[in-house]
Amino acid sequence: MNALDRRSFIRNSIHSAVATAALGSLPLLDLLAVPAYAAETSPLAVRKGKDIPKLVQETIAALGGMEQFVKPGEVVVVKPNIGWDRTVELAANTHPEVVKTVVQLCLDAGAKQVRSLHRTCNDERRCYTESGIRKALEAMDSERVSLEYMDRRAYQEMQIKGGKAFEKWEFYKPVLEADRLINLPIAKHHSISQLTLGMKNLMGVIGGNRGRMHSNIAESLADICTVLPCDLTLVDATRILVANGPQGGREEDGRATETLIASPDIVAADAYAATLFDLKPEQIPTIVAGAKRGLGIMDLKRMQMV
Amino acid sequence: MKSFGWTYARRISQSFCLALFLWLFLQTEYRGVDQLPYPVSLLFRIDPLAALADMLAPGSFGWALLWPALLVLLLTALFGRFFCGWVCPLGATLDGCGKLIGRGGKSFSPGWRRVKYLLLIALSAATFFGVQLLGLFDPLAIFLRSLTLALYPAYNFALNKLFDFSYQYDVPVASDAYPFFRDNLMAFHQPVFELGLFTLLIFLLILLAEKLEQRFWCKNLCPLGALLGLCSRYTLLQRTPKTLCADCQKCSSDCRSSAVTTHGYRRSECLRCMDCTGFCPEERVIFTLGATPVSGAGVDLERRGVLGAMACGAMIAPTVRIGPVTAEQNPYLIRPPGAVAEEEFLQRCVRCAECMKVCIGKALQPALTQAGPVGLWTPLVAPRIGYCEYNCTLCGQVCPTGAIAPLKLAEKQKNVIGLAVFDKDRCLPFAKGIECLVCEEHCPTGKKAIVFEEKDVLVDGETRRLKFPKVVDKLCIGCGICETKCPVEGASAIRIINEGESRRARSAEVAGPYG
Repeated sequence: MNALDRRSFIRNSIHSAVATAALGSLPLLDLLAVPAYAAETSPLAVRKGKDIPKLVQETIAALGGMEQFVKPGEVVVVKPNIGWDRTVELAANTHPEVVKTVVQLCLDAGAKQVRSLHRTCNDERRCYTESGIRKALEAMDSERVSLEYMDRRAYQEMQIKGGKAFEKWEFYKPVLEADRLINLPIAKHHSISQLTLGMKNLMGVIGGNRGRMHSNIAESLADICTVLPCDLTLVDATRILVANGPQGGREEDGRATETLIASPDIVAADAYAATLFDLKPEQIPTIVAGAKRGLGIMDLKRMQMV
Repeated sequence: MKSFGWTYARRISQSFCLALFLWLFLQTEYRGVDQLPYPVSLLFRIDPLAALADMLAPGSFGWALLWPALLVLLLTALFGRFFCGWVCPLGATLDGCGKLIGRGGKSFSPGWRRVKYLLLIALSAATFFGVQLLGLFDPLAIFLRSLTLALYPAYNFALNKLFDFSYQYDVPVASDAYPFFRDNLMAFHQPVFELGLFTLLIFLLILLAEKLEQRFWCKNLCPLGALLGLCSRYTLLQRTPKTLCADCQKCSSDCRSSAVTTHGYRRSECLRCMDCTGFCPEERVIFTLGATPVSGAGVDLERRGVLGAMACGAMIAPTVRIGPVTAEQNPYLIRPPGAVAEEEFLQRCVRCAECMKVCIGKALQPALTQAGPVGLWTPLVAPRIGYCEYNCTLCGQVCPTGAIAPLKLAEKQKNVIGLAVFDKDRCLPFAKGIECLVCEEHCPTGKKAIVFEEKDVLVDGETRRLKFPKVVDKLCIGCGICETKCPVEGASAIRIINEGESRRARSAEVAGPYG
């Protein structure tokens, strides 16, 4: 299983966009575009356990270890969900231990730099602090690790080829330019998209008036995921939020499920995560849209459990 | 007392105090801890005018916050208006900028000296009868307000543009310096204030008055100077000589506060700048401690002037108070959480703008007329600009007069500042048959105050099942994040009104709209 090379993906996308623009919009030229990521099967690792660092290590090891995804000298963006001014036990943000362990594994695999960030919903200073993620990453005390505030100047408008909801949107340049993108969502209830998982988590690295996406959330998310292919999606379901999501605020809305789900296929990871909420992947329009768009597979039977 | 050192000592003190207040100003911001670690509103805790406002407001005096202001009064009684000469940041700014502006040497009619006392008397009388306007003229409030609403935003804007430029062209050092500046010397979010220009104009007028004469504001207009002047009528720190010397008269032209005139030395006008100990060619001037009888005491206020000012002030109150209730006239008059009932709020708020400086969500804006005829510069929650952050209690922590009570987090999260109301003509599901629910997503109360109902509706001839948002009145605290985040362009399709706010007195209903 080859992980997509992000640099060449983006380079190709830009080249094909330029070529399309230069040569007119002949439908033939669509064939030049990089084929979307579609496989017959996708490996999926699901592990349960209470010891979070150990759980992360086991789950990643099942996929062949972080070396499969991160090569020495690469710049990696680890994208947790840090969207809300909520503490760990309220299950609104990715668990800091999960983030820390993944970042450590990236370092161990030889990453030159590991950057974490999120365009938050509440004040970013509060979110980074209250989520516990600032403390966890600062404790690593490594110059190769950074938790960054989004830089308002670093958004770049990108064409979304074959976008169904939007033709273009602003994306965060450092994420586009990174060699690897590792997606670390937390599994949560969400009224509009039913669940917020890996695909929805990528909303945290785009610019613009994101609220506008809500009117067609499934296709919008599929649109942005075509621009932001993840090398690895690891869904934090150590505890999940089953009501009043996506920000919660009551401990009774959380469930300790002590599970991690990992796959290089974002749709597969999301599809499996839906089952933790007693939902079928077909019931989540975002997952369906992702699968239809060729971003991955949602059929649980086709997944190769590792 | 030896002469030459005093001028330098004073300048050092002025610079130190100015630097201290600027530093505290920079610390008036969330930097990762919920409780601010420094007494950032110190400037107003030592402000006797703030104490006066607090004293004349209903309720008990805020000893815990304002005892330093009383200490300043006591020290003034002993040493005179040292505060004006040695501490006041506005005075230091005027002294510092005077040369740049170019000082005028006009000598004004002595009648001008009376204005500040009459202003103080009128303002105090108005305050006594329930309309507090001290903050409009308080030099410390003017200083901090100008910083908060105009100078600091402009400074941030300029620096941000500079850093944007360096980012665009990849200037090496500047790009690396940005995070340091952002985290220590700049506002994290560019401050945005509606009254920036207006506030700046008043600050500039006070600065430009230096062109008329040195310390024009302090000598003629400053009500704080007047209050301190009244306190220093019997000061123990005595200056000799008590009159102009026949052979020199340098004091009459060089004294920055024109305290030494042909009528003698007026101790309540003296700013204790100590310059005369230095510029006296004969080194005759000395300051000593001692209780000698008062001579040529102060400015003659004249009974007629005092009574006139009192009458004016006393008349302001009823004239204002017979007006309609502003909160009923303007449903968008929303105060920060912890704000006391409106009438008391207006009496306590000294318009220092500390709350607007510290507000993490850019929610607080200064009022022009939205809060009624006497609500100028008082803080309003303007939710389309910014919202009240659910887990933040900073505004209550910085308010020096208890206009915004310091609330514990759990109390604050239950404090209702308003109620969200949909504009169904604009809200997407209602108006256009499009799903949205951004308001519901952001609603921060643990059990959401915005919920949704699914309904079948006919849109363009086809039946659609849509989620329609709905406010649960009992859970909504009016934080306004829904109004801030509403994706509809222009005015939000959900707005906060002041209905049901906690601070309003009402009968304790068991049921009913606010039960």
